[in-house]
Order: sequence, then C-alpha cells, then structure tokens
Amino acid sequence: MTAARLGERRHWRGWLAAVAWLLAAVPGTGLAAELDEVLARGELVWAADQEGGGPHVYVDPENPTRLTGFEVELAAMLAAELGVKARFQQGQWDRLPLLLGRAADCVINGFESTPERARDWHCSRPYFAYALQLVARRDSALDSLDALAKEGPRGPWRVGVLTGSAAEIEMRRRSDLAVEVVGYDGTVDCLEQVRGRVLDAVLMDDCIVSFNADRFGELRGVGRPFAGGTYTILTAPDTPRLSKAIDDALGRLITDGRLKALYDRWDLAGRQQMLLLRDATEVPPARRGSLADLIRGALPLLLRSAGMTILLSVASFPLAIIIGLAVAVGRLHGPAWLRPLLAGYVEILRGTPLMLQLYALFFLLPKAGLALPAIVAAILGLAMNYSAYESEIYRAGLKAVPVGQFEAALALGMTKWQSLRHVLVPQAVRIVMPPVTSDFIALFKDTSVCSAITVIELTKRYSVLALSTGRIAELAIVTALLYLAMSWPLSLLSRWFERRLERRSERAPG
Amino acid sequence: MIEVDSLAAIRSGNRILDAVTLTVAEGTVTTLVGPSGGGKSTLLRCLNGLETFAEGRVTIAGHKLVAGEHPPRALERVRRDVGMVFQGFNLFPHLSAIDNVTLAPRIVRGVPPAEARSRGLDLLERVGLSRFAEARPATLSGGQQQRVAIARSLAMEPRVMLFDEPTSALDPQMSAEVLDVIVELARGGQTMVVVTHDHDFARRAATQVVELVAGKVHRTGPAAEILAGAGH
Ligand SMILES: Nc1ncnc2c1ncn2[C@@H]1O[C@H](COP(=O)(O)OP(=O)(O)O)[C@@H](O)[C@H]1O
Ligand SMILES: [Mg+2]
Repeated sequence: MTAARLGERRHWRGWLAAVAWLLAAVPGTGLAAELDEVLARGELVWAADQEGGGPHVYVDPENPTRLTGFEVELAAMLAAELGVKARFQQGQWDRLPLLLGRAADCVINGFESTPERARDWHCSRPYFAYALQLVARRDSALDSLDALAKEGPRGPWRVGVLTGSAAEIEMRRRSDLAVEVVGYDGTVDCLEQVRGRVLDAVLMDDCIVSFNADRFGELRGVGRPFAGGTYTILTAPDTPRLSKAIDDALGRLITDGRLKALYDRWDLAGRQQMLLLRDATEVPPARRGSLADLIRGALPLLLRSAGMTILLSVASFPLAIIIGLAVAVGRLHGPAWLRPLLAGYVEILRGTPLMLQLYALFFLLPKAGLALPAIVAAILGLAMNYSAYESEIYRAGLKAVPVGQFEAALALGMTKWQSLRHVLVPQAVRIVMPPVTSDFIALFKDTSVCSAITVIELTKRYSVLALSTGRIAELAIVTALLYLAMSWPLSLLSRWFERRLERRSERAPG
Repeated sequence: MIEVDSLAAIRSGNRILDAVTLTVAEGTVTTLVGPSGGGKSTLLRCLNGLETFAEGRVTIAGHKLVAGEHPPRALERVRRDVGMVFQGFNLFPHLSAIDNVTLAPRIVRGVPPAEARSRGLDLLERVGLSRFAEARPATLSGGQQQRVAIARSLAMEPRVMLFDEPTSALDPQMSAEVLDVIVELARGGQTMVVVTHDHDFARRAATQVVELVAGKVHRTGPAAEILAGAGH
C-alpha cells in the first residue's frame, strides 16, 4: 500500500470519529427518565456547577467535602416532596442542560427563564427572582450605569460576565454601551479579576453580589439592580410527568411558606421574593429560526473565532520552537548549573495540565502585580507548555547527530556556539521536522483549552452558539468542517516536509 | 613546527600515552604507525586539543598547550592553524560540497562569501572535484567525500595538517585517489602528521616515521629504516 493510500485511510478514521462525536452531541431523545423511573430509583438527580459559586451551590469552606447553598436545600425539599432522595450531579455550568436525559433528571442552578431555554427544554414555574447588578472597585472611575455609555480612561470598559448567563446576553445585546464583554466560568474568578484590575467591572445576579460582599470589601455595587428575571428548573422536553410533579411540588413550597422560610434563612429577601414570584409571568418560548438563517448568522462568528484559533496557533508555536530549542541546547551544552533548572522547567510543564498553567498565568500572575491580557496569557501558556515537548524532541534530535560532526566543526576552529548554530542545530532540525509538524497540529487543537481563560476561539464559539440556538448537531458539523479545513493543509504540509527530506537524501550527484 | 615533550594521557586509569616526545620540522611529513590501540589517534587529538593530556607540553604552530583543561579561546586559536582530516570524513551532510569548504572561512575568519566561494572552488579543483561543488556529501563516493574533507580543512589555510587514518575506510582504488592528493600536498611543503597503516605512502612521502606501541614511542627514524622488512 502506498503512503498516500495509508494517509487516506487515516483520514477516513478521523471522519468516523467526527461522526460518532456528533451523534453523542445530539441531546438524548427517548433516554430521559420519566417520573416513574425516578420514583423506582428512589433518587432525583439534579445537576449544578459547584464552581459557579454561592449562594446557589458551593463547597462549604468549613467542611470541603460538603456542598451547601440555597439550591442544595431546595433540591432536597423538592426530592422530599416527590418522596425520594436528592443526588447531586456536577457539570460545567453553561452545559448543564446537555446532561438532561442522560446523567440528570433536572437542572437547578440559577438558570434564568429565557425564550431560548423555553424553546429547547422544559422550564418549571419560577422559583427565584433576581436582578442584574454592576460591580466595580470603590476607586474606579466607573461610578454609574450611565458611565458605561462612554469609554473609560483605558478604552472600552472591560466587563466580566458568567458565560451563558442572562448578564452576558444583556451585555452583548447592548450595542449602545462602550464595553468589551469577557466571559468567565466562575463568579469568584470574575470578582477576583475586578479586584486585580484586569476587569473594570462585573455584571452578575444581585444575590451573588450580596453573598460575596464581605469577601470583596474593595468592591461596591454601581447603580441599582436592573433587567430582572426569574430562575427556572430545567427538565428534558420528553418527561412531562416529571416536569409537572416538580411544578406541583414548587407550588406547594411557595403556598405553604416553606420556600419563603428557606430564603429568609439565606437572607435572600424572602418576603420580596414571594411577591415577585406571585406576579412572575411565564416566558414564551422563542421561535426556532430556519437552518439557512442560522448558518448565515453563525458563520461570520464561527469564522472570526476560527481566526482566533489560527492566531493562537501561529503565534504560540514558533515561540514554543524557539524556547524549546534554547532549552534543549542549554540542557546538552549549557553551563552545569543551568542544566538541572532546565530539566525542572521541562518536567513541571510536562507534568502539569495545560489548563492549570493557563489558569496560573491568567488568574495568579495578577496577584503578583502582572496582569496579562487573556490573549497574551493564552499564547504564552501554549508556547511554554509546548516548548517542553519541543525541547525533548530537539534534545533527541541533537543527540542523533553523530559526535564526529561536532568534532569536525571544532577542528575547523569554530566555537561551541558556532558549531551548534551552523552544524548541529540545522541537522537536528531536519531530523525532528516530522514530529514537530505533527505537534503543531496537536497544538492547533489544544487552543480550545484557552476558553478557560476567557479567550473565545472556535470550540467556545461553537458551544455558546449551540446552546443559545439549540442547533447542537448542525453547528457541530459546520465547526468540525472548519477545523478540518484548517488542519488538512497542516497535514499536507507535514507530509510535504517528510517527502522533501526523503528526496533530499536520495538526490543524484549534480 | 611541532614539539611534543614528555606527553602522558590517562584514560580510565590507564596510561594510554606515556612520555611521548617527538619533533616535527616545518615542511616535513611525519607518519605515525603502530599496532591498533597503540595511542596514535589519542596523540593526534591531543595536538589540536580535541582531547586533554595529564602531563607534558605541546607546542604547535606557535601555540602552547599544557596539561589539563584548555581555555576555549586558546583552543579556537590553535585549531585555526591546525587542520584535521578524520577516518570517517565527517562532512556536514546538510551542506553541499562547496558550502562544506566555505563555512569555516566565512564564519571563523570572516572571509566575504564571494571570495570564500571562489577560493573554495579552486580548492575543489585542486582535489579534482570542481564538478561536484553543488553535490551533497551523501551522493559522493567515499574517496570523493574524503577529498572534499581535505579541501574543507585546507580552506582555513592551516600551518599543520593532521590526518587520522584517512584511507582506512576506503577501497584501494579510492585510497589511491586520496593518497595522491596528500602526496601532492606534501610535495607542496605542507607540514603534516599522518596516521596510516599504508607503508607505501610512508615510503613515498614521509620525512620521518614514528612507531607508537602501547602508548610509548617505540622507534623514530626515516621510513627506509623503520619500515625495513615490514611488508606491504
Ligand atoms: N576515552 C577513553 N577511555 C578509555 N580508554 C580509551 C579512551 N580513549 C582511548 N582509549 C584507549 O586508549 C588506547 C589507545 O587508543 P587510540 O588512541 O584510539 O589508539 P590507535 O588510534 O592507535 O588505535 C586504546 O586501548 C583505547 O581503548
Ligand atoms: Mg585510531
């Protein structure tokens, strides 16, 4: 079989994997557990993100093995009403609904009632009323909501929001404001970034602000809460009896005062809540747009995010190669004191997850007084992480150059560094070209991890769009095609390198 | 041109060179002979500082080398004046023949590229390879590669040339091509030390023959005397 045929076959396997992945991404139909199953099981599985923070669901600081929060207690009360126990299921906040019908019976985690959610899931009657509150540092020039209309001293105001939350929708909807919206996965991360001056402000539910007020004394609310709404419990669309049982149970908790008692205990303005909940109107479901409209609307956004994916890759990989080469040369030929330090650098970066390194660069460095923009932190993090792998490849490459080459260069009067630069490194580079190119493809795909530090690249854009439009499978196909369109040329490039190397070593005398 | 005085080298606790003393006059050819493992390569590599020695002194092309580690700067100065040709050629495989020849003059001595190239082509001409200037080493025969290696060494205009068994990896036909080049150089007055098992070459070109046995100078003298009776 020729090399080209082999390559084709490898590609088909990639396609198969993509199709399998797409099928897995389609919301489970017919798999959801109806009320009878929940009762038979004796457990109501409710999903939430403990990273989302208090007062909803969070880890008890006094007892880190215990979850607490008003929604933990609400879940227990609802389960008791159904005559079963409550069991918690962890998930990433903006993807919790995808667990419905597969790993969870319902989602109880501060999900605002929105037309999009009413379209794709079953939404319970409201169980909590919130409004959005802007928070900034006490010393900030941002002292009123009106101030958002004009740019701040450093350009557009950088405002953090929880990814997928009503606050994000509200901010992105308001084209009249001079703001740059930055999406986060946790409320505490967000507040920390305001404290560390990476963000100018954060927009979040008022109950979160009051809950964290003591911990962030240097922050204060700006203006009054606005754009209020209610929280709803999500269930799968095909479990009407379970949904009704939950609605009925909520109704009983509201009328007999137990919900008010719960909110009073959590200092969540119980009486005011009940007044708001009594008058809360149902949110009508959004209409599902046509596929053509969806693609027309989503494609420019996906393309722009694909551009970000490319930017991250092409900016970080050359850096990774330069750092990696320097580390490899230093470990083999540098001064004795430097070698263990470089070995430590490689081991730390290879032995810890990329996600953790990005977190450290983006969330911890500001505490040391160095606040990097997210894109810079992402590029630097990818470059450093991959430099460890590249340095090992280069080290092997340098070792593969026969020692006689070094001696021949030295015997001609070259210095050690001249020998490295003109004789050893060029040969090592040729040796390692194929593995390095395939690492570039790996890095290209790893850029999706950068969404953890607020960079919106292709995968993140896909998940945001998929969740807001409900077109999970269709957008997955478009996104996968975009990835293939980018990685295909890279594999061609890497094969071209390999062939060129082969040809070069076979070239006839000239 | 070369003075070696009471040289001793120790490797893994063994004295593989012991009290080696010899003199090479300017413009002469010295061949180093002796059984394998006698220390010939080690002695040669001590002369240009590729290896260190434990005792004694070396003066070569006006530079002094003493026992122990040599400072890198001093070594670079010595090596600019002392060329070396290896048994395994050690051409740079990623460079064409002409680039192999011009690399060191350009980066070590700062010769302008155009001048380095025209002088490099002259040198390839001298070793009979001007046709192969753009060829990669891998496409050349062993004898051609060794001749490029000689041209590469000559490009630095060394005052002394060291050859470590330059023809041992070659068949007789190719050996002859290479030896002709070395003999030609010798006739031109190039000072050189040649490690070889080829007694014909020693008889043809050597001013003196030094026989190294078990790290010691066993005999020194003219070829006719040392190699008398030794067959080939
Ligand atoms: N780095 C080393 N460590 C240990 N033994 C060595 C080392 N280098 C050379 N030797 C030994 O020194 C002796 C002389 O080697 P060499 O100079 O290569 O001899 P020749 O070139 O005459 O064959 C051999 O026995 C060899 O094994
Ligand atoms: Mg030898």
